[in-house]
Amino acid sequence: MPLELLLILVVGGISAIALLLHLSGRSKSKVMTEPQARDAWMRQFPESPIADLTLARDGHAAVIRTADDSAPLGLVWSFGTDTVARFLEDAKLSPCKKGLHLRLADFSAPAVHLHLDQPEAMLWQGMIEGASAPQSHPQNHPPVQEV
Amino acid sequence: MDTISFPDVTQLAVPIFIAAILGEFLWIALKGRGGRYETRDAVTSLIMGAGSVASGILLGFIAWGFFMVLWEITPLDLGTSIGVIILCFVLDDLRYYWVHRFGHRIRWVWASHVNHHSSQHYNLTTALRQTWTGTFTFMMVVRAPLVLLGFHPALVLFVGGINLVYQFWIHTEAIGKMPRWFEAVMNTPSHHRAHHGRNPRYLDCNYAGVFIIWDKMFGTFVPEQDSDPVDYGLVYNIATFNPLRVAFHEWVAIYQDVTQPGLSLKERLLYALAPPGYSHDGSRDTSETIKAKHLARQPQDSGTPGF
Repeated sequence: MPLELLLILVVGGISAIALLLHLSGRSKSKVMTEPQARDAWMRQFPESPIADLTLARDGHAAVIRTADDSAPLGLVWSFGTDTVARFLEDAKLSPCKKGLHLRLADFSAPAVHLHLDQPEAMLWQGMIEGASAPQSHPQNHPPVQEV
Repeated sequence: MDTISFPDVTQLAVPIFIAAILGEFLWIALKGRGGRYETRDAVTSLIMGAGSVASGILLGFIAWGFFMVLWEITPLDLGTSIGVIILCFVLDDLRYYWVHRFGHRIRWVWASHVNHHSSQHYNLTTALRQTWTGTFTFMMVVRAPLVLLGFHPALVLFVGGINLVYQFWIHTEAIGKMPRWFEAVMNTPSHHRAHHGRNPRYLDCNYAGVFIIWDKMFGTFVPEQDSDPVDYGLVYNIATFNPLRVAFHEWVAIYQDVTQPGLSLKERLLYALAPPGYSHDGSRDTSETIKAKHLARQPQDSGTPGF
């Protein structure tokens, strides 16, 4: 197949599929209820039971305090129509227009935008910055991915 | 014989891929079942697919050069009769099984293959979420015996392309089970869904490309269980749609692990070559420890498929 034709097919195909998906409402992020946020956390960290969970008002993220007091705070958040979760070790927090911006020391999860109104943002900032991260906890080391 | 050529079936199949994705999406939209689509996830998968083709165009000469050197060396030439093409296809599928198995059991190879498993969705776009870095795994050496046995490099690549095209249609939730005889011999959507599962039960199973018989022969077959719906993605899911991060995140992780201070040479090598999940201090989980921990929580699963 001529390279030009292949290029047209690929670019045209990706664009058409992207447009179709977006226009049919497939770009929405998952909105979690509290039980769903709990399930999403336990799906990622089944050995780290939740002691306390704070769900964002928009349902796109939740801060997790695990039963292990020595563990850092965790965060579960919407990733498209799915969820991901991380312990907040070495996270850099900065306020932004729509809430908070978290930069994580993780190449596969580089940043999270938390959409929070101002009082909520202040509360979350206090929680995250106030949490003391321990020096060693098994889950602090990002496990290598396996399928 | 050195000038024979075969069509590049993966490139020729591109229009079919696009039409099938549109068809699957419309089916799901109309029926309200049979899978899920998400814009950014699908676009990332498609860009990974396009990048994989580009990578093949840019780096394909390395594998091709290697195969042609072998072809010069070997005194054997089996020709290109229909029987030889079929035999080559079957043997190449066995080659695929082992390369795929290495891809899940050797972290260096997993670093290339991981992106194919990095979507939490399972639809036809997932099939196209392919590696950009396959050349750097050096898994082309597993094809060497085929060339040395007298299969022309062009034929070997041709049947490998057919193998990949076959695997496209099995990346779907829209098809439940195929007829029993087909499920017994061929790789199917059901078998491959299990392969994409992050559930402890489904870790490291169903490596087949076309014929599921290899998994049955080598003890890695796990049938999809109605009682344990497949949870797609990675044990530790990534949180990025950026194709560059998807393509390279495990390579970066290997680099970070190998270069951490205070390790012996053996430990550094194991971080690159041991099964994914290896750690020098035992702080991480491999598929074996994940399964063991699952059984500690759910002892009733002991002895069921995958455990």
